[in-house]
Amino acid sequence: MSEKSTHAHMAVFAKIDHIAEALERLREFGIQEKDMSVISGYPISDEMLGRPMVWSNVPKIAMGGFIGAFIISIALNWGTPLLYPIHVGGQPLLPVPPTIILTFEISMLGLMLSTFLGVLWESLFPSYGPKIYHPDVSHGKIGLVFTCPDDQCAAIHKALTEAGAEWVRQMEAKPL
Amino acid sequence: MTANIPAIPLGDAHHDAEAEYREEHLMLDPRPREEMNNMVLESMRDKSLSFWVTAGVLGMLVAVALFGAWGYMIANGMGVTGIRRPVFWGVFIANFVFWIGISHAGTFVSAILRVFKAEFRRPFTRAAELMTTFGLAAAGLYPLIHLGRTWRFYWMIPYPNQRWLWPNFHSPLVWDMIAITTYLLSSTMYLYLPLIPDLAMARDHSEGWAKKIYGWLAMGWRGTEAEFRHLNTAINIFAFAIIPVMFSVHTIVAWDFAVSKVVGWHSTVFGPYFVTGAILSGVSAVTMVLALIRGTMKNMKYFIRPEHFDALGKLVLIFSMSWGYFFFNDFNLEWYGGEAAGHAVMEYHTKGPLAWIWYGMLIANLIIPWATLWNKNVRRNPWAMFVIGFIINLGMYAERYMIVTFVLSRGRMPFDWGWYKPSLVELAISLGSIALFLFLYVVASRLIPLVPVWEVQEGQLAHTLRKIGRATVISVSELE
Repeated sequence: MSEKSTHAHMAVFAKIDHIAEALERLREFGIQEKDMSVISGYPISDEMLGRPMVWSNVPKIAMGGFIGAFIISIALNWGTPLLYPIHVGGQPLLPVPPTIILTFEISMLGLMLSTFLGVLWESLFPSYGPKIYHPDVSHGKIGLVFTCPDDQCAAIHKALTEAGAEWVRQMEAKPL
Repeated sequence: MTANIPAIPLGDAHHDAEAEYREEHLMLDPRPREEMNNMVLESMRDKSLSFWVTAGVLGMLVAVALFGAWGYMIANGMGVTGIRRPVFWGVFIANFVFWIGISHAGTFVSAILRVFKAEFRRPFTRAAELMTTFGLAAAGLYPLIHLGRTWRFYWMIPYPNQRWLWPNFHSPLVWDMIAITTYLLSSTMYLYLPLIPDLAMARDHSEGWAKKIYGWLAMGWRGTEAEFRHLNTAINIFAFAIIPVMFSVHTIVAWDFAVSKVVGWHSTVFGPYFVTGAILSGVSAVTMVLALIRGTMKNMKYFIRPEHFDALGKLVLIFSMSWGYFFFNDFNLEWYGGEAAGHAVMEYHTKGPLAWIWYGMLIANLIIPWATLWNKNVRRNPWAMFVIGFIINLGMYAERYMIVTFVLSRGRMPFDWGWYKPSLVELAISLGSIALFLFLYVVASRLIPLVPVWEVQEGQLAHTLRKIGRATVISVSELE
């Protein structure tokens, strides 16, 4: 496909059944999974669409943040009293119970901050550049964005229309 | 299955049952997505005279009662408050505990109901989460206000400095600061993440500067499979992680009192007692907010229905009982222990000149919810729930007021007993913080979609009616 001229196209559907059928048609035309994408106003699972599962690294990033914050917390809890000792009568310099409290809070903050940043990282947010999109998606329609060789476009448009597309057209990426 | 919700395959004989179900349950009463979008956007864009008057009055109260009185206090010193020996913690600390409590329910309702996949949560999670953020905004002011010399707040932050002041990193004050910071940041992120698809929806329905702002906030969201996968994964992590954080925050607030040797505060049950009270006041506040949203905003009667008040009413009843259990734990052991100083504190509560506050608290937190919320008709009535929620919050405020001021009034040494009366400045600041919470909420209601439309639509997709034998029953599919 790479030797042929390709363009981005978008088809819009009203029903999940129709878009699952349309994805099947695209595969029959030799379009690769990586060259098609479904966009919708609510989550539609991979199983419903018959698509390979999208992998998310957010849990790993979250765990990384938790571990990082845990280490920082231990450093703060043990390091600061050693660097700047405050001797309070009869109390240890490195008390365990308060350390547990502070370590828990700081580690959980690390977990949740990294989860949040993980979503941004994995979704490439913020991203304000031009994209293939149509507001019909937030009106409840389901969009199918795909690239196809120019010489196959007419046949693919026809096949998608037969599969239930409300409209199919070549799209230019625009700022959202 | 369709995008605009399935037809329900039932025979003619079941149409009456179907109609009843649709009227009762939002999840069974789907409307086209575009219609739901427009309903939510219309409610946001409705800026009637009453809105401007409400926002204006609240804004004035914030400016005058909160910042004006606070400025007066800064200019004239803490002497303008009623704080005197032996009561060094007054309404500012009571307000701090109260607002932390209010902030709890937003996250509790949203996170715990999400973890347990309670479907009725869908339309009101955001309204509840907003309470957390704005409740914390109000709560976060009070340590600064109580500090007196507010401009020196950064002395609390542990970093090497030329003042040779190094705050003890293991001090309960540092627990407080870190716990509240963690909770504020976490709950704000937890509010923002599910908001992104709705901000994109608002972007697609806006023009001009509004489109730019919503577009900037939506960060380029389109709703691809990958975006939803990452978002849902993150929301699930947040829902699980934020629950123990929520419990820890109010436990730490309780420990602010309990780690001291003050009689009446030094109690091992204070952590769960405070957490339960916080959830009781917070869930009651959620019912109040939902009643106001439903009663004052356009189209909200479709999204917020008696079924939601019914479910929240059951939660309020359960937490009222739990609060009663922990209260009795705290009370009974002090009473049975027979320590003279403890009995003096108890007598001040039950027989002192302000004993009416203590009895009022019991009536508000126990008798009224137990006497009313067993009744389904009461639970399903939004304005009845508003009144009950208001009374419970009065009771919970009274509880915090007594814990702070009554206990300090009756210490171990009778020569050091005293009396506390909040000054006009303290009352003005307290009123101002209520106005701040309401003002932020009223403004937010016109800036962001209060109903997570995409979550409602997802829920409606999962619900249908089935006929089993002669009965028509609700069936929920696992779509995630």
